[in-house]
Amino acid sequence: MCDICGCAHDVKDTKTISINQSLLKSNEDAASANRKHFDEKGILAINLISSPGSGKTTLLEKTIEALDGGLSLGVLEGDIETDLDAERIRARGVPAVQLTTGGACHLESALIHRGFHALEQQLNGKKLDLLFIENVGNLVCPSFFDLGEHVRVVLISVPEGPDKPLKYPKAIRTSQLLIITKSDLLPHFDFDVEKVRADACALNPSIKVIVTSAKTGGGIEEWVYFLQTNLTTELKRKKP
Amino acid sequence: MHEVSIALGMVDELKRIAKENNAQKINIVTLRIGKLSGIVTDSLKFAFDAVKLEHPIMSSAEIVINEVSLVYQCDECSTTFETGDIYFPACKKCASYNLKMISGEEQDIENVEVEV
Repeated sequence: MCDICGCAHDVKDTKTISINQSLLKSNEDAASANRKHFDEKGILAINLISSPGSGKTTLLEKTIEALDGGLSLGVLEGDIETDLDAERIRARGVPAVQLTTGGACHLESALIHRGFHALEQQLNGKKLDLLFIENVGNLVCPSFFDLGEHVRVVLISVPEGPDKPLKYPKAIRTSQLLIITKSDLLPHFDFDVEKVRADACALNPSIKVIVTSAKTGGGIEEWVYFLQTNLTTELKRKKP
Repeated sequence: MHEVSIALGMVDELKRIAKENNAQKINIVTLRIGKLSGIVTDSLKFAFDAVKLEHPIMSSAEIVINEVSLVYQCDECSTTFETGDIYFPACKKCASYNLKMISGEEQDIENVEVEV
């Protein structure tokens, strides 16, 4: 009933509530909780994003080889279907949990939380140094979702072409490291490494760039050094 | 594609906001979306219109989008300027690339109009 004249007209009270918070708040809150958990355990978490087929899993295989048991690793493998990637990692003696999204084109923090606890069961109390999260192959959507990682790494392979940084600016802007993979193919493609580096740095002046080849092993040492220095920084953050 | 996930997250937030404010119905959701957010606003509206139907409290809610332009402040000469250049913005006064983003990456819920 209208409270001005008492007529039967239904007048509802409306009010506007000021919110001013991120649309992605629920994911961001879960990401902060993940990061806090990793900090407490002294784990450096790395989120790998790239197009399908850029070499994320291969880079992980080479990383496992290069570290040769020197650091304790765990891997969360994101894919739409199958646990083929987790099998590749487990075949090298590293604990891995496959996260299948069943259609979603990116990982979200809540799934990382569940995946990490599943990984802990495989660890049997063993301490982890590095947690790799291999995102679903996609250069667009994963860049929107903080997973609680400390470092985001974007991979672009030589056959994909040199225009990728400009076409996928958010992936570059939100990453701390760009790895150019499959550099052994450079003689066969018109891929100007310096142009890619310049474009990436224009989008994100603080991004680092490493050029790797899993075939020749080029750049892997530099990547391992990057991981070790970031782990040292992470441990300092844990114990100031 | 990520707009569907964003819309689903938005539904969760709206349910929480409605509960906290004892709202009976959500009428209008006003968003602030920056030019560099990477969110396709038409896709987000489309996704929200699909997912809202499962929730009676917001099944007739409308989205209003306030687009936020890309504004930088120059670290060298402090000039604040708007630009459409999303790749290589340079200061309009002194041409420096040493810039700080003031706005353009927003992806926020600004306010919600509810019936109480």
